[in-house]
Amino acid sequence: MDNQVKPKKKVNVNRVIIYTILIFGTVLALVPFLYMISGSLMNLTEATGRAVLPSTPQWSNYREAWTDANFKDYFLNSIIIAAITIAGQVAFCTTAAYAFARMEFPGKKLLFTLLLSTLMIPEAVIWIPNFITVTWLGRVGPIPWINNWPSLTIPFMASAFSIFLLRQFFSQIPNELWDAAQIDGAGHLRFLAQVVLPLARPALLTVILFTFIGSWNALAWPILVTTTPDWRPISYGLSSFLDEAGARIHLQMAGSVITILPIIILYLFVQKQFTEGIATTGLKG
Amino acid sequence: MTADTSLSLPVRSKKSRWSALRENLLGYAFIFPAFLIIGLFGLFPIGFSVYVSMHRWRITPGRFLGLDNYVKALDNLAYVIFFWIAAIFLYMAIQRLRKVIVQAKEANEGLWIWIIPAVLSTAGIIAFLRFAVLLLPEVLGVADKLRGQERTRELFVSLLGEAWRMPVVQSALRLTLLIFVLAFAALYLINRYLRDGHASMDYYAAITQVVIYVTSGLVLGWYTWAEIVRAYAEALEEGETLAIWAQVTTISAGFLLLLFSWLLWRSASNQDTNRSMIFRLVAASMLAVGAWTLIGELPRVIDAGYADWWNGLRVTVFYSVGTVPFQLGISLMLAVLLFQNIKGKSFFRLIYFLPYITPAVATAAVFRTFFSGRPTAPFNSILGFFGADPLLWLDEPAGIINMLFGTDFGGWLAGPSLALVVVIIFNIWTYIGYDTVIFLAGLGGISNDLYEAAAIDGASSWDQFRHITLPLLSPTTYFLTLLAVIGTFKAFNHIWVLRSAAALGTVDTASLVIFNEFNRNTRYGYASSLAFVLLGVILVLTLVNNKIAEKRVFYG
Repeated sequence: MDNQVKPKKKVNVNRVIIYTILIFGTVLALVPFLYMISGSLMNLTEATGRAVLPSTPQWSNYREAWTDANFKDYFLNSIIIAAITIAGQVAFCTTAAYAFARMEFPGKKLLFTLLLSTLMIPEAVIWIPNFITVTWLGRVGPIPWINNWPSLTIPFMASAFSIFLLRQFFSQIPNELWDAAQIDGAGHLRFLAQVVLPLARPALLTVILFTFIGSWNALAWPILVTTTPDWRPISYGLSSFLDEAGARIHLQMAGSVITILPIIILYLFVQKQFTEGIATTGLKG
Repeated sequence: MTADTSLSLPVRSKKSRWSALRENLLGYAFIFPAFLIIGLFGLFPIGFSVYVSMHRWRITPGRFLGLDNYVKALDNLAYVIFFWIAAIFLYMAIQRLRKVIVQAKEANEGLWIWIIPAVLSTAGIIAFLRFAVLLLPEVLGVADKLRGQERTRELFVSLLGEAWRMPVVQSALRLTLLIFVLAFAALYLINRYLRDGHASMDYYAAITQVVIYVTSGLVLGWYTWAEIVRAYAEALEEGETLAIWAQVTTISAGFLLLLFSWLLWRSASNQDTNRSMIFRLVAASMLAVGAWTLIGELPRVIDAGYADWWNGLRVTVFYSVGTVPFQLGISLMLAVLLFQNIKGKSFFRLIYFLPYITPAVATAAVFRTFFSGRPTAPFNSILGFFGADPLLWLDEPAGIINMLFGTDFGGWLAGPSLALVVVIIFNIWTYIGYDTVIFLAGLGGISNDLYEAAAIDGASSWDQFRHITLPLLSPTTYFLTLLAVIGTFKAFNHIWVLRSAAALGTVDTASLVIFNEFNRNTRYGYASSLAFVLLGVILVLTLVNNKIAEKRVFYG
């Protein structure tokens, strides 16, 4: 056999196997989403039967889920909760991360270790004390915390993870910039706002994305602190709707599509940023 | 002023000292808001949770219970564990002390003088904890006093002041401050007059650590002992007999035997052939005896403990073991394939990542439909197509071992229930994309030269994978393993959606059991103690993982 042909042919076979596996993986990853969309357009008999595709797409399912099942409210609640949380995170975590990255004060190391130690603590440990705290704050303060926005946003306005991520970025900014800023008469706050933040946009974007996804996906804590649908965020809304809808699978699927749509759109827009952000956090964690 | 500039100016002018102070204050101001939130909702809850777990607490706080909640959950195993934690504290103290003594000897510096401020600081911390424990119920009580009254700011402030000014609280506070002032004075005086080394603050920190460890170990050990004595006294009054001490010693002996056999086995490889043979034989027999003791004793303890909780732990272990190897194996394979020079790399990455970023409640809803017990549900339709009977899937509490082999085992031998298998499949499906992306980043960090050199030496692609990729990727693998295991212990959202009453709690992991105990049964104190046991399990797993990683992980 010809020596030059053999390796080339082998490579081609390898390629075919590689692509087959990768495409098979793609199909497995996508099938649940495709079924979600297809199921959301079926009518009741199709959804509970063996149908794979709807005979005629029932777009009205979305309207029904949106209005009848209160998805409109859940959706808005989650947007508001995410916006408040993100505003808090940007304000508090950037300043804290800046202080840890570029300022000197006694006890810095101890405080940072204390901060990082909260990453180890499973949520289950802090559910109960935080629930007691939040109830107490609502009972003594001017506004209730249970069934209201503060309990869903304020505890999440600062996170060790965000501070850690931003600090990594801030400490990479060259000192020459700070020296130059000082000559121009800028203090720490102005340097942070005008030089550091624009430079750290990728990190900031990652923090914003993670915070958004975090509040969009929150389930256990909202179950604990919301007993009425008034401030119920979307994941809890969907999960309670799944139980209410019972056999109406087409509506369940429509609700699921409504829930994942904002995240998917966001993901497609900032996809590269996102995967890279995750890859770096993973390696440094 | 940044660190570099302040260090490069050894002689500070008055102005720069002022600006350094200003910078310190500004630094504190910068971290204050974040620390207020994280302190209140991230750090304080840990201590508060300990407090809650030692009380009978059903919505409102009840009487002090000590370790009873833990004993209720784990039966007499709780005492064993507390003794062991005390022993670990003492062990950590000895280790730390040995290290710092070596350091001081090398530098020929005095060490023991630091024991004065260290003991004072520890006493100050204890006094502060006492103050906090005295103040906490009063502050919590403010909410009850406000009930039915008009909630004005003035009233709240005055009630809070009332709690603050309680004589007990005030004297505790004064004691705390006094001790801290003494500690500070001692520290200052030693630094000023007796300081004979450059690393003095390091010594102080190390000795304080040692004193804190010793104190925690002794207090915990003494308290556990007192609790056992109390349990005996109570049992005597009711005319019952207890066997706590017997159980504690047997179980401890069992664990000790396991530990020694592991140490012996490890040291065997350093010996010559004959001795290593003997070492291994002794180690193996110790292992057998230890394991036999534990097998004889542990099930009795577990039976007497809280059934839901042990079941939750078993489910969590099945869940971890069923998830982690497959998830990591498949994603490693995908990452290696994607790392080849292929077209559409970013497209595949985009798709594989989708399950990870989409809300778990929504994707779990689809899996719930897929694996529904209805005969017309998608997976049952596929089974029907092949002529098989429909399965109950998520409603099936029977273990898969029993289902596959028609056996009738109970407990561990039954294997995970079919419902749990579906949860495992969901978990693998969700996290493969994430793991693949991290593996890809890890692969990107391996230098290409190594592969080229290996190819020149005639290594096959499998050899390259086995001897270059795997060892160099081990830090990533270690990180992902740890993350995946801890992730299964924390999992909540998808299990909440996928669990059904018909599965009889066979998918309820530890987190779910805690949540139910808290939210549905409103047993706050008990649920807190369960949460702490979970935290303990996670810490032990992390430590074990670290120990294994120390040997196996290759950091470049």
